[in-house]
Amino acid sequence: MPLKSYNKKMDHDLGIPLQDDYFYDDPEEIIERKSMPKLETTEKKLKELAKKGEKKVIDADVLIIGAGISGMQAALDIGDKGYKVVIIDKTSTIGGAMVKLDKTFPTNDCSICTAAPKMVELSRHPNIELITYADVNSLDGKPGNFKVNIWRKSKYVDPDKCTGCDDCAEVCPVEVVNPFDEKLSTRKAIYIEFPQAVPIVYTIDYDNCIGCGSCDRVCEPEAISFLEKSEEIEVNVGSVIVATGFEVFEPTEMRKEYGYGKYDNVITALQFERLLSSFGPTEGKVFRPSDRKKPKSIGWIQCVGSRSEQLGFPYCSRVCCMYATKEASIAKEANPDIDITIYYMDIRAYGKDFQQYYDHAKDLGVKYVRGRPSSVYENPDKSITVRYKDTLTGKIEENTVDMLVLSTAIKPNKDNKRLGGALGIDVDENGFFKQDSLLTDPIQSSRKGIFLAGCIQGPKDIPDSVSMASGAAAKAVAPIKDREKHIGKEFPPEKDVSNEKPRIGVFICHCGKNIANYLDVEKVTEETKKLPNVELAEHWMFVCSEDSCKKIKEAVKEKGLNRVIVAACSPRTHGGLFQDTLMEAGLNKYLFEMANIRNHCSWVHSDDWDAATKKAIDLVRSSVAKTRHLESLTEEEFSIYPKALIIGGGVSGMKAALALADMGIKSIILEKESNLGGRLNHLHSMFPSDTKAEDIINPMIKNITKNKLITVMTNSELNELDGYIGNYKGKVKQKGKIKEIEFGTIIVATGFKEIDLDGEYQYGKNKNIMSQTELETKLKNNDLKEPKNVVIINCAGAMDKKRPYCCRVGCGVSIKNAKLIAQKYPKSKVYLLYRDMRVFGKDEEEYYADVLKNYHVTTIRYPGDNKPEVSLDRKNPKDGPVTVKVHDDILNEDMTLPADLLVLTVNTEGGSETEKLKNMLKVPVDAAGFFIETHAKIKPLDFSTSGVYMCGAAHYPKNLVDAIAQAEGAASRAAIPIAQEKMKGEGIVSHVIEDKCRGCGTCEMACAYSAIELVPHSRDPARLVAKVNRALCKGCGSCAAACLNSAIEQKGYNSKQINLMISALLDEEAGR
Amino acid sequence: MSKVKEKIVNEYSLNLKKGDLAKEVEELSGVNLFGCYQCGTCSAGCPYVEEMDLTPDEVIRYIILDRKEVLNSKTIWLCSSCFTCAERCPRDINITKIMEALRQIILRKNIDKTKLTMLTKEEKEVIPQLAFVCLFRKNVG
Repeated sequence: MPLKSYNKKMDHDLGIPLQDDYFYDDPEEIIERKSMPKLETTEKKLKELAKKGEKKVIDADVLIIGAGISGMQAALDIGDKGYKVVIIDKTSTIGGAMVKLDKTFPTNDCSICTAAPKMVELSRHPNIELITYADVNSLDGKPGNFKVNIWRKSKYVDPDKCTGCDDCAEVCPVEVVNPFDEKLSTRKAIYIEFPQAVPIVYTIDYDNCIGCGSCDRVCEPEAISFLEKSEEIEVNVGSVIVATGFEVFEPTEMRKEYGYGKYDNVITALQFERLLSSFGPTEGKVFRPSDRKKPKSIGWIQCVGSRSEQLGFPYCSRVCCMYATKEASIAKEANPDIDITIYYMDIRAYGKDFQQYYDHAKDLGVKYVRGRPSSVYENPDKSITVRYKDTLTGKIEENTVDMLVLSTAIKPNKDNKRLGGALGIDVDENGFFKQDSLLTDPIQSSRKGIFLAGCIQGPKDIPDSVSMASGAAAKAVAPIKDREKHIGKEFPPEKDVSNEKPRIGVFICHCGKNIANYLDVEKVTEETKKLPNVELAEHWMFVCSEDSCKKIKEAVKEKGLNRVIVAACSPRTHGGLFQDTLMEAGLNKYLFEMANIRNHCSWVHSDDWDAATKKAIDLVRSSVAKTRHLESLTEEEFSIYPKALIIGGGVSGMKAALALADMGIKSIILEKESNLGGRLNHLHSMFPSDTKAEDIINPMIKNITKNKLITVMTNSELNELDGYIGNYKGKVKQKGKIKEIEFGTIIVATGFKEIDLDGEYQYGKNKNIMSQTELETKLKNNDLKEPKNVVIINCAGAMDKKRPYCCRVGCGVSIKNAKLIAQKYPKSKVYLLYRDMRVFGKDEEEYYADVLKNYHVTTIRYPGDNKPEVSLDRKNPKDGPVTVKVHDDILNEDMTLPADLLVLTVNTEGGSETEKLKNMLKVPVDAAGFFIETHAKIKPLDFSTSGVYMCGAAHYPKNLVDAIAQAEGAASRAAIPIAQEKMKGEGIVSHVIEDKCRGCGTCEMACAYSAIELVPHSRDPARLVAKVNRALCKGCGSCAAACLNSAIEQKGYNSKQINLMISALLDEEAGR
Repeated sequence: MSKVKEKIVNEYSLNLKKGDLAKEVEELSGVNLFGCYQCGTCSAGCPYVEEMDLTPDEVIRYIILDRKEVLNSKTIWLCSSCFTCAERCPRDINITKIMEALRQIILRKNIDKTKLTMLTKEEKEVIPQLAFVCLFRKNVG
């Protein structure tokens, strides 16, 4: 029996943290303890240290606080521009909240798989210094010259010696509730947060370590050092980015009626996310916490703590509708028999492809019930009964589910107030950081030189956070733009392997359970070992982890490997990482090959262990066959013309130009109209702060005309485009004249337009029926006569068969215009007909509540399959009043509303010049005419064509705040090549064998990138032969396939290599 | 297509002008009910909801739409003022106070007033004491 009377703890002489908690009777008390030391103690220590004068000083350009996806993106953007970055994180790893998620909506991409390459890239970046387990204490100075005091807590483990082998955690006797798994599992007092953690160094949890020394005894590299002390670090930087993220609301005090913390089977959505995750407590199997049985039915309750004026937070958490939909559809897809219900108030599927994702979930059989449950109770079998009113049928009902998931609110970090105080920036009434000006400068904090990124200023989804982080990177560069830049990474000299016999190393990845659970990795390794030229074959948990990359480098040295194969996932996401590893080991990066045994094998053959194993063996064997013949390739270097072209002079385009100018980069704005301002020229005011549109654009236009780095070309259109990243030449048509311009990168900011309603809702037949834009122009020009009854119909031409998407801004615009009318004509009655009220996020939701409460706008929800009908006056169809028949979903009855003003919130589509630009820039566009980004989550501003970027509504309709954040983000992205001054092209390019070429020109026509032209033969000038521009060539291989005489070879994929691969794949013997 | 079937009082005799119902309710209860999202939390938690002709959220909807027949609904008299709805409402709308306000609108018009002297001796013997208390408290308002 442990002693409870054990006296108060004392720190050991050697600084070993001794804690008495372990001697408590109840292990619960150990796990209840906070995991971070209290701040007072660190402050005390700081003072002591300051007295002794011990201080480490780092000089850098930018400090980033918080290394979640936003912080990482900002760090990479700044580091790529050549400036030194220090990034700190409170926890012992980087990655933040994103790595806790299983998959991301709406593409169902594996979250860790998209975040991990960024984490590794960050840790390997030559310009980025990473300090984990650290926090900011104070900040002094002014923009350009900040002195920041950082307290780095000791991990009691030597980062240089720790190999991340897990031996210490195995022997550690202390079990602590694991905050990374949202308290669903336990970890030891010496731990890493998750298997792919960066840096992969174990940390001793000071609060919970009992100082028994077990870890020290088993640690082979002798990495444990109880003597290591926490230290104060002084960082001198020019600007600061705050990206400390958010916390998730735990409904234990508020919203107790949902039984969280009382009933075992009520969990939060983030906990469910951990259950789904392959490296979560159940390794991806969804079990009920009470009995570890598979649930037959699951319920989700939305808005727990969100949209609440009492017992919660007044704002909308912005992501819950979509993550619940994602979690529900993943559960449903894995087990179609499972019964899933989501209880909601409004489904906010507002973003690009969100509505389609939601429709898909409904098709899968996920039930959506409009009604917020009042309470839940537990049954003897531990199932949960939910009591709710289905507000669409009007029935009070009860539903029993095996497991209940609460979609809890995103709330500001507890530490925000303290951090705000330390940094001298303001925090709003909720605890989020305040923007300097919401509508014109959303990234700027209340103190100059300090910028905000991600969820710290309100809930955000990943792409919005990433865009904003890029934007913060652009702004943070401005005060330090003239400092010295450090471009590129120094690699050791490349070893010449052309005369060596192939010595191949094969590294096979488990990818957590993604591969190892569906096929026999050990057998694959054994079979691979038998192949000739294979010097080494090993299988590891995550080959992409930092620790594994280190091991690859060691293997290259020790075993003298000269070619490397990684059998894991796709080279598209992970190839670059391993190529870097090769270069660090002194090998040419093209001596690398990936065998995709996850996407091409384990994922698609998850039901057949033996066949999947065999296929994986075949895939690896064929890769080995090719790898034997891999050659070192060289890359073409080319310079970048230091100017950016911005197509579109709306708010996004203007903001991008200003951000570029702040970084000292020249730009040209092309505007097809006669003046700058874009859509805002026709709008009255902007939500959610009711700022006049002209008050937003006029100062911007003034700044632009003043700025010498920005050239404005109005009445202009891009007619022709020639060249490639860094070296573009364009022909601009301005007032009938053609002008030639030169530039290095392109930002597309062409905006959107309202769709053609084609007579729907009698649009165009009566002068009292108008679109929101027409209404705003009238309001702006004071051209509206006082209406008696106003009806606004949302979602006109949206979310139907023809256009299945949501326009994202319509709800906000309709609310704002309803308010404008109500303000101007207090006697008018305003009806707002909507399908789901999608006023998402902070500020918008509060704006909506305010309009309802204070302007008494009557909202009527109508069903999507029973749209309102508009009929014209028989006597006076053109000018008379109209009648709107609508089915009220809530009361389940038809209503007839008279209207002398009918406003339609018309759906949107891509701008008018999209089609022309699409062909000129060679970029993809979706069915609605919006440009398609490289990656919906982590590369929202880039096109797959390098050197071309997008922002604002050209990507998807956006409110002003998001558009500005994106514009500044796109500026940051477009500035990277310009800041680097030089770039390297692909090594994998086409190569013409001149003697075989007949000069027929077939390849020239096949090339989609205009990279081939016909030139005279080098020895026989009378003959024409094809020549490849190595900077333009993307290595697509079209020319090689088209050539009638096999005169073009694709480097890295030549005919011999491919033929060998195919025969090895089909025939075991051929592979030997 | 009203769900209120009974006609206890003639709501038109109450001298409520167009749009006045919500104003009157707000004045009596001090509650701004226009912020309602019609989420149904109040109705799902109401212990008497099975007996009601209008669920509590429908009562609010009727007031917002200025449908005076809400004054004839059974709901306002069935409400036992348990405050469950007010406690859980995410919009911080005190529905219990709204119910009381609706009752007050009728009571203040002195319709259906009972005097002790009007009851017969037999009735007095049968009616429980509690009912008397309720009856007269109603008149006190």
